[in-house]
Amino acid sequence: MKLIFRYVGKHFGLFITAIIFLIIESVTEIFQPTYMSMIVDEGVTRADSSAIAHYGIIMLIIAGIDAGAAIVRSIFSARLGQMVAKDLRRDVYKKTQSLSLENIERISTASIITRITNDVTQVQDFVQGVTRIIFRAPIITVSAIVMIILRTPWLVPTMIIVIAISAFLIFLNLKIGYPKFAFLQKRTDRLNHVSREYLTSVRVVKAFNASETEHGRFNAASASLRDAGISAMRTMALFGPLINLTVNLSIVVLLWLAHSQDASQIGRVMASINYLTQIMMSLSMISMIFNRAVRAFASSERIGEILTEEPALKSPDTPLKPDIKGEVVFKNVSFSYPGAEMRTLTDISFSALPGQTIGIIGPTGSGKSTLVNLIPRFYDADSGGVFIDGVKVTQLDEHSLRSAVSTAAQRAVLFTGTIRENLMWGNPLATPEEIDSALRISCADEIVDRVENGLDTLLGQGGVNLSGGQKQRVSLARSLLKDPKILILDDCTSALDATTEAKVLRSLREYSGDITVLLISQRISTVRKADRILCIDEGRVQGFDTHDELMKTCDCYKAIYRSQIGN
Amino acid sequence: MARQEYSTPPPMKGGHGRNIGKIHEKPKNTGATLKRLLSVLKGNKKGLALILLFAVLSSASGIFSPLIIGFVINCITTGNAVILFISLLAGIYVSTWLVNFLQSILMAVFSQKITYQIRTSLFETMTGLPLSFFDTKQHGELMSRLTNDVDNISSTIADSLSSLLSSIFTMVGILIVMLRLSVPLTLVALAGTAVIVIFTRIVTNVTRPLFVKQQKDLGALNGQIEETVSAIHIVKSFNRQDQVVSDFEKLNDTLTHTALKAQVKSGFIMPVTMVINNLTFVVISIISADLAVKGLIAIGTISSFLLYIRQFSRPFIEIANVYNNFLTAVAGAERIFGIIDETPEPADKEGALRITAPRGDISFKDVVFGYNPQKPILKGISLDVPAGTKVAVVGPTGAGKTTLINLLTRFYDVDGGSITLDGHDLRDYKMSDLRRAFGVVLQDTVLFAESIKYNISYGHEDRSFEEIRAAAMTAGADSFIEKLPEGYDTLLERGGEELSHGERQLITIARAVLADSPIMILDEATSSVDTLTEQKIQSAMLSVTEGRTSFIIAHRLSTIKDADMIVVMVDGMIAETGTHSELLALDGHYAKMYHAQTGR
Repeated sequence: MKLIFRYVGKHFGLFITAIIFLIIESVTEIFQPTYMSMIVDEGVTRADSSAIAHYGIIMLIIAGIDAGAAIVRSIFSARLGQMVAKDLRRDVYKKTQSLSLENIERISTASIITRITNDVTQVQDFVQGVTRIIFRAPIITVSAIVMIILRTPWLVPTMIIVIAISAFLIFLNLKIGYPKFAFLQKRTDRLNHVSREYLTSVRVVKAFNASETEHGRFNAASASLRDAGISAMRTMALFGPLINLTVNLSIVVLLWLAHSQDASQIGRVMASINYLTQIMMSLSMISMIFNRAVRAFASSERIGEILTEEPALKSPDTPLKPDIKGEVVFKNVSFSYPGAEMRTLTDISFSALPGQTIGIIGPTGSGKSTLVNLIPRFYDADSGGVFIDGVKVTQLDEHSLRSAVSTAAQRAVLFTGTIRENLMWGNPLATPEEIDSALRISCADEIVDRVENGLDTLLGQGGVNLSGGQKQRVSLARSLLKDPKILILDDCTSALDATTEAKVLRSLREYSGDITVLLISQRISTVRKADRILCIDEGRVQGFDTHDELMKTCDCYKAIYRSQIGN
Repeated sequence: MARQEYSTPPPMKGGHGRNIGKIHEKPKNTGATLKRLLSVLKGNKKGLALILLFAVLSSASGIFSPLIIGFVINCITTGNAVILFISLLAGIYVSTWLVNFLQSILMAVFSQKITYQIRTSLFETMTGLPLSFFDTKQHGELMSRLTNDVDNISSTIADSLSSLLSSIFTMVGILIVMLRLSVPLTLVALAGTAVIVIFTRIVTNVTRPLFVKQQKDLGALNGQIEETVSAIHIVKSFNRQDQVVSDFEKLNDTLTHTALKAQVKSGFIMPVTMVINNLTFVVISIISADLAVKGLIAIGTISSFLLYIRQFSRPFIEIANVYNNFLTAVAGAERIFGIIDETPEPADKEGALRITAPRGDISFKDVVFGYNPQKPILKGISLDVPAGTKVAVVGPTGAGKTTLINLLTRFYDVDGGSITLDGHDLRDYKMSDLRRAFGVVLQDTVLFAESIKYNISYGHEDRSFEEIRAAAMTAGADSFIEKLPEGYDTLLERGGEELSHGERQLITIARAVLADSPIMILDEATSSVDTLTEQKIQSAMLSVTEGRTSFIIAHRLSTIKDADMIVVMVDGMIAETGTHSELLALDGHYAKMYHAQTGR
């Protein structure tokens, strides 16, 4: 609720203008039935055409002003709603970009998407509706009540009862509706989640003939969304007609009371009926806007949750921006994933100097990738510390840290867009020469040569139209374009054939110069030429030395060697 | 005049994103789409009939209550008893309430059911589409169709249809009563209405394309959000936050601009309608006064008529109101039908062959294929694989190895030549039987955000826990799974991201082991598993694949040395075939690759 106020407040000018015209609109509207009753009382009943023309013209002028005000108001309220939506979407998206992986994984991508799109739309509908209705309806209601009291004062007690009952009904509606709409949005999340999961696993689903299973999952999510929707809409169905009934019955009361009154009051009674009809419409508008409000509040709370989410990784108060040279030191680092019981890394210590290549090898699940993810601060160590040039990474400015560190991962993620656009992620200002050389080093030049439009070839989401090895090479080129001081190669050549891999590694060695390279691999042949090799198992360091030394001292390394090369 | 303006701003929901492949930007045919949409409703005749009935009833009360109010007023002026009419009025109001209540409830259930049906059948259609469809769409865009576009239809059904129906009934009913009250006055009222209808049409002709564009813009935005949020670690590691935010803002601005334009223009309809209505009111007043003077009409009749005029204009305003929503919904429906009209995976042929236990003779004959037919990836592959052969496919990346697998499982169909299994073309078999014949471990290690047990038994939910565990043991996954806090029941909340790449591979291997298919396909199945584990899996797989035809794609040549047949692919063609020792002796591509890897 506060959130909505804050965002509306940012466009206060629009809001005020809309409200001013809304008031003009409402006031002119109030006068129309007055003139209408005058037309009947003084014109039609007396068969006086000139009186009709007289009041008719006044009424038309008022109606004209009314329409003009309505047009202006609708322009401003549309603008207000759109601006609020635009700001909200932008701020939530920006905030999302500043959150850490841990936050995003917890909230879930599907839910974030629902919040930025669907929930923002709910808030927008409400804001726009508010400036159309919520102020006007009370104005109309109040002035209509005043008019009724002036014309037919004997109706006052009835009016009080009508208002009290309606207010109570609206309150009840709000109270019952809120949790239902909050639940509805959650079910929308779930549906988004299931469909997103299907889209990412479509190959597996087909290969395992599991369409039926997916239908089942989707139908379950879809059915529970349906039930949540029915339940929420039922609440609305209950209260709207009840309010109408309340006001309608007051018309009955009015007529009953009128029959004992003077017959000359007929014009007034008719006007009062008109006003009551107006009140009824205003009230049903109010109950409608409250329904939307309930939904908007539920949504704005979900949006607010993201906006107030604390990034799991704290930025330092006075971030350091040193000229990073590339020395990486791990001192007694231990780490476990949030919520996990087991430690992934235990007491890891090693160091890498600028210009060195450090191989990292170890069995599946030993913690190799986790270890390197601590360097660009995707996660923070639980104890111990990761130091770059002697400074703890948590003290460094995030932007400078991440521009110095470049990772090429095994699972190469590319984006919808051309190959060139994907490469430019590494360096938006890259010259054609730089792009060429990065492509050459990663042996991706032949891919570009082979595809139809070269660098301008469009890739689907995730680079689906490239093979696994091609994706890895393009993403490696992207990482190289960053011109990093610390290059992390996380098994990023796993899908390459041996010849190409050897070629890539060779050119990387030539390229690396004084940068620090951390080379993760399963293969001895890949890491054996490294300056030093870190062998880890179950999150602990088993050995850290050259290939030759490890062959003498490290059982873990020897076992891996034997399995690959033989005795 | 009172104003019934509680319209919703046209809902802004999901849409069309950035298509890479086909683009469905055909000229929109509103009429045809509407017809199709209504045909969906037809399946729910009972519900629809009830709603129609209630709509008639509720309009009836709208028609009769002013008439009775007129009677009451006539009675008051003439001093007659009113009790009868007043209790009649009260009765009408109470039954109106009941009818409205029931109608709303029914409508809620009905529209949600329809949404559910459309959503479900849309999803089922989607699962029947070929891979090429998914490869060219952004996930965010497709998600948006499943949720937002479908919702859009439902909200229209809920908001518009009922008011549309009751509006039409009210209109017709009131028209009849008005005609009975006074023909000339009714004609004046109709003239005013005609002006409103024409005006509304003119405006909506301008706004309709804008609403279509608005939906499209929103779709593009959804696509961008999904892609950048799901790959946020990449965004961060490249310090691209500012850039993606500015991309986002561009799309956000475009959307806002379009939506604003659409809404401002459609904002004219209501006020202008009001003015015309007021004008009609005045004209009718003047004429009725004239008629009253001539004694052709009673005062009570006039007051009834004037009340009716207001009621008569109301449905038009309501229709004008819902018209925009209707247009957006039609735009959404068009996108949904766009998917339903996509060519599905080829249906099984008439009398398609069933297979339960194929021998496993596979033969490729001059197979030509390209994802883009102009750029063939496979350029004439011929290969005979006798049942029980363990075939290893090696070669540089991009040589077409995975493509070969895609053709075997019929993710795609050959452009030229043929592939046969046990002597019959793959296309002659029932698709589901064919896929059951293959046990596949794919390069992508995709896991579901469900339990490990669920993931291993995926596609074979009927297997017992013992079988699942045995498969995991064979795959070498049991040991790490047992170490997890809840073992096989551990929930992979982040879709397996909490596991290492190698561990994910082990689970997918266990999945294939459990499938126990006659033909096995392992596409880089152990590329991220350490070699010790790999050896264990290998020996286990050996026993599993014993006597079965199997295809293994691998880069680590050490793992395929003992294959019965090694196929070396280079640039979409088979360069060499033979056993390990034969190929070494040949001293060609294979030998070169092998030496590069062993460093000898």
